Amino acid sequence: MKMLHFDYQMEVSYSIPVDKCYYTIKCIPMNCGTQRLESYEVSFEPETKYSIGQDGFSNSYFYGREDVHHKTFTFGIKGVVTTGLKAEKAEDDMEYAVYRYPYGLNESGERIRAYHDTFEFTNDMSTYQKAEMMMRRLYQDFVYQKHVTDCNTSAEDAFILGKGVCQDYAHILIALCHLEKIPTRYVAGMMIGEGASHAWVEICQDGIWCGLDPTNNKLVDDDYIKLSHGRDASDCLINRGVIVGGGEQTQDIKVHVWEE
Amino acid sequence: MYDLDLLEHTDTVNELLARYGVKFGIYKNNTFKEQLFPFDTVPRIIEADEFDFLEKGLKQRVVALNLFLKDIYSEKKIVKDKVIPEDFIFASSGYLAQCEGVTPPKDIYSHISGIDLVQGKDKSWYILEDNLRVPSGASYPMIAREICRRSSPDTFSDLHIEDNRNYAKLLRRTMDNVCVDGGHTVILTPGRYNAAYFEHSYLAEKTGAHLVNGSELIVQDDKLYYRNYDGSLERVGAVYRRISDEYLDPLNFNPESVIGIPHIYDVFRKGNVALLNAPGNGIADDKGIYYFVPKMIRYYLGEEPILNNAPTYLPFYEEDMKYVLEHFDDLVLKDVAEAGGYGVVFGNSMTKQEKKDFIELLKSEPRRFIAQEVIDFLDIEILDGNEIVPRKADLRAFVLMADEPLVWKSGLTRFSRNPDSFIVNSSQGGGFKDTWVLSH
Repeated sequence: MKMLHFDYQMEVSYSIPVDKCYYTIKCIPMNCGTQRLESYEVSFEPETKYSIGQDGFSNSYFYGREDVHHKTFTFGIKGVVTTGLKAEKAEDDMEYAVYRYPYGLNESGERIRAYHDTFEFTNDMSTYQKAEMMMRRLYQDFVYQKHVTDCNTSAEDAFILGKGVCQDYAHILIALCHLEKIPTRYVAGMMIGEGASHAWVEICQDGIWCGLDPTNNKLVDDDYIKLSHGRDASDCLINRGVIVGGGEQTQDIKVHVWEE
Repeated sequence: MYDLDLLEHTDTVNELLARYGVKFGIYKNNTFKEQLFPFDTVPRIIEADEFDFLEKGLKQRVVALNLFLKDIYSEKKIVKDKVIPEDFIFASSGYLAQCEGVTPPKDIYSHISGIDLVQGKDKSWYILEDNLRVPSGASYPMIAREICRRSSPDTFSDLHIEDNRNYAKLLRRTMDNVCVDGGHTVILTPGRYNAAYFEHSYLAEKTGAHLVNGSELIVQDDKLYYRNYDGSLERVGAVYRRISDEYLDPLNFNPESVIGIPHIYDVFRKGNVALLNAPGNGIADDKGIYYFVPKMIRYYLGEEPILNNAPTYLPFYEEDMKYVLEHFDDLVLKDVAEAGGYGVVFGNSMTKQEKKDFIELLKSEPRRFIAQEVIDFLDIEILDGNEIVPRKADLRAFVLMADEPLVWKSGLTRFSRNPDSFIVNSSQGGGFKDTWVLSH
């Protein structure tokens, strides 16, 4: 169990001023499973009146409208999360049934299916062991490289390319687990240290979710803070907006997670 | 019946319909074309006691479908109890995970349901399809009746026909029933290039609701407002939206949508506005789910279905697959993901090779198809020039869910103008008739 402090800062800059924007920001550490959100504070620049909503996967988010003319939009959230709590068991399998099915970016194609065929599982392996085995191999066979994929790259396309970022690792591992009929979901979150936001997967075994981080070839522990989960990255998109004006935009994200 | 004075007025009625803009917009190969929706003055007549029977069956069906939708987006008891296999829910494109745990005002999901029926040669009625998303069509018999009455008042004074012009009142009652905080009621249209734009404007006029497009609605402080001509905002309590789920809200559904209203679904989630129909209904009118509707009626209501489905097989089940392969030539196969008369093939119309390919596809994706016995339709008569000829037809009945289920005593009868075709969809060039329900 750890008390983790986090600080997430996002700055979006536009080449032409924005007249108006509607935003949905899914960036509140979840208050469930193995973690508890102890406290947080939010800042927006320009200031805005926001609401808090909850989506179909129990993720919370901020949303609202920004009417002030602006060239940069910043959002920040910082606070404290207790991690590494004991996970609760799902009450019935309808809570995770939806995660058994391919959806959107995690759908497998021929290449992923062929790759899946190369795994040799034995009958005595648990769900978790199978998933872990696939993660370990994927880590060996896939190369971490930025700027070769984007947020709409599918698991299959990333797999064919052979390289990508955490989102791609996660989608491919979800696709592989689905082929083993393992309920698997995408997780967006933050990891101890400084950098950007992160993504990994969770698989469900006997009603309990456990996390696997294929990008780092690591089992998820109390160094991770979950922001949201869903079927694929589109369910967990941190920043969604409808913008009037604005031209080109660039986004800068700084994440810092530390233990005191 | 053919000495009806009304029949003499066929051309006039059609001219007037065209003048009033009763048209179907069709967007094909990147061009927009408007085509007339040909009207046949020979009415379909349904006797009072027969309609009573239909009415009971339709109410039962729509009540069960609403309970199903509520269940699917919350507890999913019907899946847990293994009445419906989970594949038919979660692998369906009609299931929208965004709608999980959202409770619409008064638990009503399908306020306006268009239920398509056909009558067999044995005179029994079969349900062909449920339309619970944005069913259209009520305006056509409404305006046709209006014009027919003016063209031939005597026809209507001599016969005892239920007045179908009350649809606007029924719709108003349905909208008012769920309207939140006494706000305005609006009809949201994607605009005049939509196939059913005539209907949107006509229903707005007749119900007294504002006809609006997406840019006239705005979300503020978790509520929905209508932007007045002077810039002032007026609270909206119910939206009869005539745009599909995916385009409704770019921040909750398809991000590419430019006709939607950002955050409208967030307002709905908080219970601050009613959306008619509720998003997510596609899971209940999926052709795969259709098979399960009789089971739903038994499961939720503990009643036997009053109206039957067309005999349907699910290749998903092994024994049904066996039946389908053995009786392939007698069946019609439908792709569950398609609508509007597309994705429908008749077993006996395929060449040997087509049949072989299709069976292969069926075996690899059994969940994707349903198979139905070809119903021996009761032909109905239409006036073709000066001649009365038989044609295939269906009936779209409208069931509104207000404080109680209401069945409109009329309906849209669509017929195929092609003597060899079974497909009556307006988007494929069919025509329509008025449906007269006799009052005694």
